Amino acid sequence: MKVLSQYAAMLRLTLGAMITTVVWCVLLPRLLDVGPVREHVALMEERGVNPAAMYYTELEQLPLRPVWIEKVIVLWP
Amino acid sequence: MNPPRTRYGLHEDVAAVIIGLTTVALALAITWQARPQDDAGNRDRYAKGWPTPAASWIGTPKTWTDSPLTAFQDADGNFDVAPVAVGMAWVVAVGVLGVVLGGRTARTAVLGFVLLAGLTCLAYLLASQKLVTYYNLEYPLWALAVGLFVGNAAGAPRWLSPALVGEFFIKTGLVIFGAEVLGSRLLALGLPGVMTAWIVTPIVLVSTYLFGVHVLRIPSRSLCMTLSADMSVCGVSAAIATGAACRAKKEEISLTIGLSLFFTVIMMVVMPAVIREMGLDPIVGGAWIGGTIDATGAVVAAGESLGSLLGEAAGKQAAEVAATVKMIQNSMIGLVAFAVAAYWAGWIDRDPNAPRSTLITEVWRRFPRFILGFLAASLVCTFLHAAGPEQELWIEGATGGITSKLRGWLFCVGFVCIGLQTNFRELAPMLASGRPVVLYLAGQSLNLALTLAMASLTFGWLFRKVVEP
Repeated sequence: MKVLSQYAAMLRLTLGAMITTVVWCVLLPRLLDVGPVREHVALMEERGVNPAAMYYTELEQLPLRPVWIEKVIVLWP
Repeated sequence: MNPPRTRYGLHEDVAAVIIGLTTVALALAITWQARPQDDAGNRDRYAKGWPTPAASWIGTPKTWTDSPLTAFQDADGNFDVAPVAVGMAWVVAVGVLGVVLGGRTARTAVLGFVLLAGLTCLAYLLASQKLVTYYNLEYPLWALAVGLFVGNAAGAPRWLSPALVGEFFIKTGLVIFGAEVLGSRLLALGLPGVMTAWIVTPIVLVSTYLFGVHVLRIPSRSLCMTLSADMSVCGVSAAIATGAACRAKKEEISLTIGLSLFFTVIMMVVMPAVIREMGLDPIVGGAWIGGTIDATGAVVAAGESLGSLLGEAAGKQAAEVAATVKMIQNSMIGLVAFAVAAYWAGWIDRDPNAPRSTLITEVWRRFPRFILGFLAASLVCTFLHAAGPEQELWIEGATGGITSKLRGWLFCVGFVCIGLQTNFRELAPMLASGRPVVLYLAGQSLNLALTLAMASLTFGWLFRKVVEP
């Protein structure tokens, strides 16, 4: 019984690994060629954006105070 | 499951503080040692802080399109697995050190830590696929998915149990993360930025929490708080900090991260188009994006998308304001985590039948010690960052080049552990009730309305100069 459940577990793991491989290596790359997705990715690459950044320190460019801001906004009245 | 602690063992929180603060100190020392000899305070020359040699020692798999092998290649196509191997070794080292400081024997846990490091690498690999990366599906989601899949499909082997110290990894990562939480960032956009971040964010946080507890009657207060903080402050990083501060259950943090990333992707795509259709001022639109989209990377992505819709000059303004408003919100994590930990220690976790003592005594007794380490790292780095232009670049070099990568590996392995220990069946009733989704949607609706009102008031009218350039 224990051997059978171990085989079942191995089967589930193998099946999951195969599905993940197909999705990540075949399906997702094809989706990258779909119009709006391709445009979004191209724009992000062109601007050097890391959309997966979890915190501002992981961004490609640190978001500092914009140099033009004080011409438009009163920061400290 | 863990081997018993010896009488000399340290509490998990204390071990996390020791390892975390030592790591921050070493990162600062390494960066200081390699400081530029001339022009060290020149922001234009060192845009991301002082370069540090350690930045290239550790890394994660690079972005790949159709072959995961390319994630381990350098720009010339040569295999360069060393930075990823160092990241995996770092996970094993912190795990072993934590077990030893806890007074347990590391012998039984080493193999488990090696397996966890491998699963963590796999999670990073899934997260670095190009489409996944550019749609902001961050690594915590894949770390949880990898853990959930392995844990539920095959079950975590018994020998892995001593290594499943996910909370310890996350606490250590949080202490290191403290170095990146700089209070001085809060003033980057003056009074309008302070009003947007300091007024709207706490209102949304508290209202959403109370709505979840009293109106939706969600039984778990910690779920309400984690979800509210994630949605009102800055996404996954806020969920990690507040979830740890209020001792949220593993499945509650998993659910929060899943919900947050799902809605973040939608908002990242939809908001720029909505702003254009509404004809909003670019600066107001940028502030609205910065104040409402949960994840930092998604805010910058949405800001740039808005920029491409509005044209060169206006688009640049919108994107820069969006990123800066988000950075101000990012910097609130320290305050929020401290407040939540104090509230939980003093009120929620308080035993009404326990002998009466003062509130301060109760708060101190229950206050999670690792939050003190997190605050200490944050305060020291804030103080140094504000000391002058050279120190500013020193801190930015150390945090961007070293500590952000180190804590990233620890958060990732922490979520793999959480996934391994979470049972799908425990998540099902929470999801089936639908109430967490309703709470998220209600809170985000309030966030959208209040942030738009505040951004229009501050950036669009009250503090707007009459003569524009």
